[in-house]
Amino acid sequence: MSFLAPGAFIFAAALPVVVVFYLLKRKRVVKLVSSTLLWQKFLAETQASAPFQRLRHNWLLILQLLMLALAIFALARPYFARPVKGGRLLVAVLDASASMQSADESPSRFEKSRAEVLQLINGLADRDQMVLLLAGAHTEVKQSPTGEKATLRRAVQACAVTDSPTYLTEALKLAETLTRDRPFSEIHLFSDGAASDLKDFEGKDLPLVYHRSGQRGNNAGIVGLDVRSNPENASQRAVFVSVANYSTNPVPTELELRFDGQLLETKAMTLPPTNTAAEVFIVAQPHDGVLSVRTTAKDDLAADDQASVVSLLPRPVRVLLVSRGNRFLEKAVRAAPNVELSLATDLTEAKPSADLVVLDDVAPTVWPAVNVLAIHCFNTNWFTYIGKAATPAIVDWKNTHPLMRFVTFDNVQIVESLAVKPPTWGLTLVDATETPLVVAGELTRQRIVWVGFDTLQSTWPLRISFPIFVANAVDWLNPASASSSQLMVKAGSAFHLGIVEAVTNADVTLPDGNVKRLAVDPVAREVVFGETTKQGVYQLVVGTNKTVFCVNLLDATESDTRPRPELKFGKYGQVAASSTRQANLELWRWIAAAALAMLLCEWWYYHRRTA
Amino acid sequence: MASALLTPDLLRRLEQFQLLARRRSKSSARGERRSKARGQSVEFADYRNYVPGDDLRYLDWNLYGRLDRLFLKLYEEERELSVTIFLDASESMNFGQPRKFDFARQVAAAVGYVALCGFDRVSVLPFPDHPEEAAARGGLRAVRGRGSSLQYFANLERLTAHGPAGFNESIRRRALEARRVGVALILSDFLDPAGYEAGLTALVGRGFQVVAVQVLSPEEAAPTTYGDLRLIDAESGAAQEVTFGRFRLATYQRTVENFCQRLLEHCQKRGVSFFRVISDAPLEQLLLKQLRQSEVWK
Repeated sequence: MSFLAPGAFIFAAALPVVVVFYLLKRKRVVKLVSSTLLWQKFLAETQASAPFQRLRHNWLLILQLLMLALAIFALARPYFARPVKGGRLLVAVLDASASMQSADESPSRFEKSRAEVLQLINGLADRDQMVLLLAGAHTEVKQSPTGEKATLRRAVQACAVTDSPTYLTEALKLAETLTRDRPFSEIHLFSDGAASDLKDFEGKDLPLVYHRSGQRGNNAGIVGLDVRSNPENASQRAVFVSVANYSTNPVPTELELRFDGQLLETKAMTLPPTNTAAEVFIVAQPHDGVLSVRTTAKDDLAADDQASVVSLLPRPVRVLLVSRGNRFLEKAVRAAPNVELSLATDLTEAKPSADLVVLDDVAPTVWPAVNVLAIHCFNTNWFTYIGKAATPAIVDWKNTHPLMRFVTFDNVQIVESLAVKPPTWGLTLVDATETPLVVAGELTRQRIVWVGFDTLQSTWPLRISFPIFVANAVDWLNPASASSSQLMVKAGSAFHLGIVEAVTNADVTLPDGNVKRLAVDPVAREVVFGETTKQGVYQLVVGTNKTVFCVNLLDATESDTRPRPELKFGKYGQVAASSTRQANLELWRWIAAAALAMLLCEWWYYHRRTA
Repeated sequence: MASALLTPDLLRRLEQFQLLARRRSKSSARGERRSKARGQSVEFADYRNYVPGDDLRYLDWNLYGRLDRLFLKLYEEERELSVTIFLDASESMNFGQPRKFDFARQVAAAVGYVALCGFDRVSVLPFPDHPEEAAARGGLRAVRGRGSSLQYFANLERLTAHGPAGFNESIRRRALEARRVGVALILSDFLDPAGYEAGLTALVGRGFQVVAVQVLSPEEAAPTTYGDLRLIDAESGAAQEVTFGRFRLATYQRTVENFCQRLLEHCQKRGVSFFRVISDAPLEQLLLKQLRQSEVWK
């Protein structure tokens, strides 16, 4: 056992003073009186009539009071704010993601981590300082550097767990910044390690201590949810559900599908161990509404046991094809489901009566303001034009994007392509050595899919991937489906809603029924709501417009609650979990409290004897 | 006629007083007090039939003239009044400035002087017993006549106060031993751990007309010594530890008041006249006002 403040032993000099107090005899003046009869009656009457007596002038009493006051003063830990050298800086990163709600620790991983942070605070030395970061979807600085333990404890108590995924990189980068160039600094990460973004972080020399929480990975949760038209019957809706089981045992469960709270269908299934199973519900949908899926599997994490999606009834997509003639493209657009196609050779108005415009190798008189698929043409606002690339070789394509679903570029040859710099607003879907070939993104609330080469100058129309890509593009560019996808956000991500009327406030009804009022700038074109830490169905009322949107976890990394014994950063860095760590557990509170109790006992005994 | 106990002026004023007895004297000795006995005085009492041998000087000749029968006039016999003074001469009476015992002796001297001037018989019975003062105490028994007052005062001055009082026992024994009952004056502080009730009751039961004077010292009424005290009882030697301060003075005085009030109530229930005095109070206040207003004397 060692001591944080050995200098406090100087107060041991007070012990002889206490001994002197006890050596002091109560000196009484001896007085001969005629009779003690009246005094006996006086004492009997005063003791019988009142349990308390008036305070007497007594030096011993004053000294004891002074001692007590000093002891209490010491317990209050007074300090002078002045700059001091030395001392450690501890950065505590507390993971507040959905996986921390797992009940494999008692009562939960988050509460266990919270208790560990409090222990760490208790072990802070006098000159140590601590910063508290709460890592959820965004990193929040809950307490700036301070050595005041009461403030730190309050900050820890104010932390709350969320339904959002973890992005630890942001927190660790901030912690790295705080500890940079500090000789005595430590980063304490209190987490279960369920974070997907650590590969992007190179933290080799980080002074990181990983306090792992979590005992097991007994969890099965919904990791994917989508709703579309039934390809075989357009009047029906197909609900695609992916359920992952991360335990090492098969998990029998039932999937319940509800529409606006009404149970539609239940399907029993057995989830294979450490695997993902998919299920499709085919249901008839009478009107726009919210489809909710729930799994009944008994597991440690409840946050991923349900998910919701706003399902809007499909409407025909009006497509305007502006082209000098491209039969492949026209046939591909017509082949896309639920399309009303119209043709034109030029575009003369920015907002034609179409949901989306396909520009095929033409430079329109007026560039459209609606969503656009631009082939072999570009708006100078979109790109920085470099030149032309001859026979560009396709080197990579991203088939994880919705546009590229079931699309491959094998055996596609291109004669020539426009060469542009990759834009900041878009994602390159198909890449060649010199230039991006296909870019998709959103610019000033307009979705744009750009193909840099003339399809007729390539072998792509002859491949099966071409009509699939066009169908995907029509679906992705359809404003209805775009807004439908906008109506589902991940927990912790902001929800954006475009507005047309000037309003000053908007009301959001949270899943728990509380209503939160947002102040809106009258000139703003969209409402942004960022407090989506809890999953569920939200309702946003902006003026006369009511919008329902869903917040879901749907994160496989979060659902995978298997404890990570070590964290891997980038390619080479790794930190093993440190389950126990030497902490300085101070005893002075108990000793001071015992001293106070003894002082009170002594006081009581003294008064009982001499009253 | 001067004394160290009473000033000549006070003695002169006391000569005007006469003790008032509620009951007729039962004494056998002649004096100046009315009694139930028949004898020679100027106070007509009754008639009775003449029988041979009666003194003819007492025949009522006017009545014989009217009724032609002989009647003898009877007159009240005047007897002396017995005044017994029970003087507390215990150690506790030595306290006070002036001493309670001195004050009590002054009262005894004054009452005794008034009684002697009225041809009453005065006995001073100090308690407890002090055999070494037998001569002085013997000289204080059955003193009669104004001419004895100087000797009476001198004997009073020779008394000392020491030893425990034993109030109840002393009073009861002396009450039983008294051959004549009359007026009984008790001069004491009544601060006896055993109480005072039995003594007073015995005295009243014996037939005395009792006057009780409680003498307290100023220190007993309002102590002026504060702090942590170890009080030693002068009579019993018992110790009592007490922490006393100015803030408790009122409570103490309330205790004293309660004690005196209980004594007063006890006396009133038994027809005892009660007076409380502080030893530093003017003697005239008690003698010339209080006792007179209460018709102890007139």
